[in-house]
Amino acid sequence: MNNIFKFAIYIFLTLAFAWLAFFVGAKNQYGDLEPTSQYLEENNSIPKGADLFPQSMPGVAQLGAKEYLSLGCVTCHTQQVRTIDAGFDVERGWGKRPSVPRDYILQKEVLLGHNRVGPDLANIGLRGYTREWLHKHLFNPQILVEGSICQPSPFLYDTSNENSEGAIIVDNGESTLFIKPTLRANRIVSYLESLKQDYELPEISFIETQDEDDTEDSKQAEVASTKDYPVGVPTWLATQIESGKEIYMKAAPGGGLCFTCHQPNGQGISGQFPPLAGSDWVLGEKERLIKISIHGLMGEIEVNGVKYNNVMAPPGIPPGSLTDQQIADVLTYIRNEWGNSASAVSPEEVATIRSTVKDRGPMQMWTVAELQTESSSD
Amino acid sequence: MKKTSEQQIDQSAKFAFSFFVASAGLWLLAAAILAYIAAAKLTNPLFLSSWEFFTYGKIKISQANAFVYGWGGNSIFAVSLWIVARLSQSPVRGTIFLIFAGAIWNLAITFGLLGILDGHMLGHELLEMPKEVWPALFISYLVIAFLILVVFRSRRQSVTIAPQWFIIAALIWFPCLFLFAWNGLEINAGRGTLQAILSMWFGQNIIWLWLTPVALGCAYYIIPSVLNRPIDKYYLAIFGFWCIAGLAPWSVVHHLEGGPVPMWVPAIGTVMSIAMVFPIAVASTNFHATAFKDVSRVWNYLPLRFVIFGTLSYTISSYIGVIFSIPAVAKLTQFSIINEFHFNQRVYGFFSMIIFGMVYHILPQVTGKEIGTAAKNFHFWTSALGVFALLLAYLIGGLTHGVLAQQPSLAWITVIESVKPYFLITEFAFLILGFSQLVFVLNLWKVIVPNPFSCCEKNVEQKTA
Repeated sequence: MNNIFKFAIYIFLTLAFAWLAFFVGAKNQYGDLEPTSQYLEENNSIPKGADLFPQSMPGVAQLGAKEYLSLGCVTCHTQQVRTIDAGFDVERGWGKRPSVPRDYILQKEVLLGHNRVGPDLANIGLRGYTREWLHKHLFNPQILVEGSICQPSPFLYDTSNENSEGAIIVDNGESTLFIKPTLRANRIVSYLESLKQDYELPEISFIETQDEDDTEDSKQAEVASTKDYPVGVPTWLATQIESGKEIYMKAAPGGGLCFTCHQPNGQGISGQFPPLAGSDWVLGEKERLIKISIHGLMGEIEVNGVKYNNVMAPPGIPPGSLTDQQIADVLTYIRNEWGNSASAVSPEEVATIRSTVKDRGPMQMWTVAELQTESSSD
Repeated sequence: MKKTSEQQIDQSAKFAFSFFVASAGLWLLAAAILAYIAAAKLTNPLFLSSWEFFTYGKIKISQANAFVYGWGGNSIFAVSLWIVARLSQSPVRGTIFLIFAGAIWNLAITFGLLGILDGHMLGHELLEMPKEVWPALFISYLVIAFLILVVFRSRRQSVTIAPQWFIIAALIWFPCLFLFAWNGLEINAGRGTLQAILSMWFGQNIIWLWLTPVALGCAYYIIPSVLNRPIDKYYLAIFGFWCIAGLAPWSVVHHLEGGPVPMWVPAIGTVMSIAMVFPIAVASTNFHATAFKDVSRVWNYLPLRFVIFGTLSYTISSYIGVIFSIPAVAKLTQFSIINEFHFNQRVYGFFSMIIFGMVYHILPQVTGKEIGTAAKNFHFWTSALGVFALLLAYLIGGLTHGVLAQQPSLAWITVIESVKPYFLITEFAFLILGFSQLVFVLNLWKVIVPNPFSCCEKNVEQKTA
């Protein structure tokens, strides 16, 4: 080591070897991962027509990622669910399964983080928080979670003492404020909503936890999401809505898996999946809605003036397995959530429609044209 | 004869050394203020919350950067320049280039931090400063490192000793590390969690392979030279050096345990972290076996007291670090504020304490002016108290945090509520540390400022800080 040049080369090599392993080696191992379907065929090929995961974030969420980065949120929040051996993340309800490298391949900013002063956010979009709740939390976390040390970001909101359209009411105990989210706040909330690892992959499946619903976080989420039901709803309707919501959000046999495309907030994903909130398809005629719920829908559809072209397999796990009662519940739910308000759907109505289409094959999805001709011929 | 040549060397290093030490001191103060704001915001989230500029995340990240690049970088330049010149018995050349490059380095950091506070940070650990400032930082670094290596190259004796290995290696490691990380993060950016591996690798290595070796080199220099006795078991030093060089680049990724990366990555990290006991044991034996032969001298000569505080802290907490990298323990502490313990131990308890000692050792020799004993003592005791309180709070708080976080039935807010008292202690600790660092800078000021040349530097500095 008396010759500076030799010495410099040795020093360089100590780093170069580690870099070769951790970057070049790892890149060769998994640098070319691509989105894939939840389950593979026996010959390891992707089933035809299956949805591929992970899906890229909506554009507004990608902009939100930049805001999240610029505010340094990563200092306190991780975005990774550790494996079962390495920690109790799944038990805590921070994810349905451990995170895997494939989950991150489409993210431009990978913000795994390594400090958890705040909770993990890898699945924040799955915890059922409404947009309003997230906005309030961003504006002033202490109003919603007493004792929180999360930093308030009032600079992302236009505050006023008077109500105006689109404003959120914040009651901090002393006074009532009306806050209007700026573009940046909306981006961040969209980003948070898009953070979810709610699909299985060939390399990882969901992990069952027995007392998942007992954890505080999910209780909190329930309170947050159910508290704003209209008052004075009759019990039978409330039960139907409650059960419908469960089906809507359930990603296990007997569930509807609706939220994966239409999102927990009913907003869909712009350009890919149409919204249910405020949709004339949801609020309108029940017949075609029931038909879609039995057989699914494919091809172009125009919702609230925007065209979508995608495939909706018959809802349910396995597809098309929802009973009349379940369809009635979930339809009643979507017709009465996110500001929607329309009449309930009864199991009898579903049964009637089902009998008229019993000749149709189980996976024969409707097209918009078919639905329209049928209803006009009636 | 020897005396005069040493004086000539000191004289040649005087301007550059004073410049870097003064810059380092001002950055230290800036970092102290940021650290206090960050700590205060954790105990009271409403503190300064209306300004986006002061958001916790931005403050915290800019504090780490101001500390590592501002204080760390400048003080590394200062002490390595002087030690290399002294050991090579060769004068410093190109002072004007050193100062020019140093000014660019400081300006670039200033712009970088403003960039972070203005919301343009990058998402890589300790590479958060905006892209635009890195070329300036990198080139000014190369100029400074080159000029130090020129001094080393023109040394009188061909045989090298431990302080030289550590310091020269650190000077070479930084640009290599930067290029490797920059290549994988920005130029041929890897997709997905590859970025996370590399970002973790860089962020931890910058502490292990840049700050740590320089501080170890300082200790290897000052202990035998002040005590006037050879390093005990010196033949182990070379083993210790190559152990750090060989193991540290692999060990740092153990923080990814259980994360979305291939399993072998944290596994290698864990094995190598545990193997780090060898270099830690070597350094500890070398330093302490030598120092404890003459405890009264260590205690009475304040610079050495600082250095031994640093090496003891290094030994104890590196062993703690090894324990925390064992998977069964890491399960508890991985994402807790134990991470703050590791970072602060390394930068405050170890690196800064040794640099304080070195500066107090070098400054009188370079400027010919003594710093008041009472002022130095005051600095030592406040630093020691601050570091002790800070590390203890993060250690116990981190264990509490980690253990409670592993109980799924406990609401997250309950976990945080039980960590809050420790955040309050750290706030006080940062206040004490900030105060002691102010004393340090005032001590420097008294010695450096009367020099007319350093007067001009001060002006430059005030602009940059």
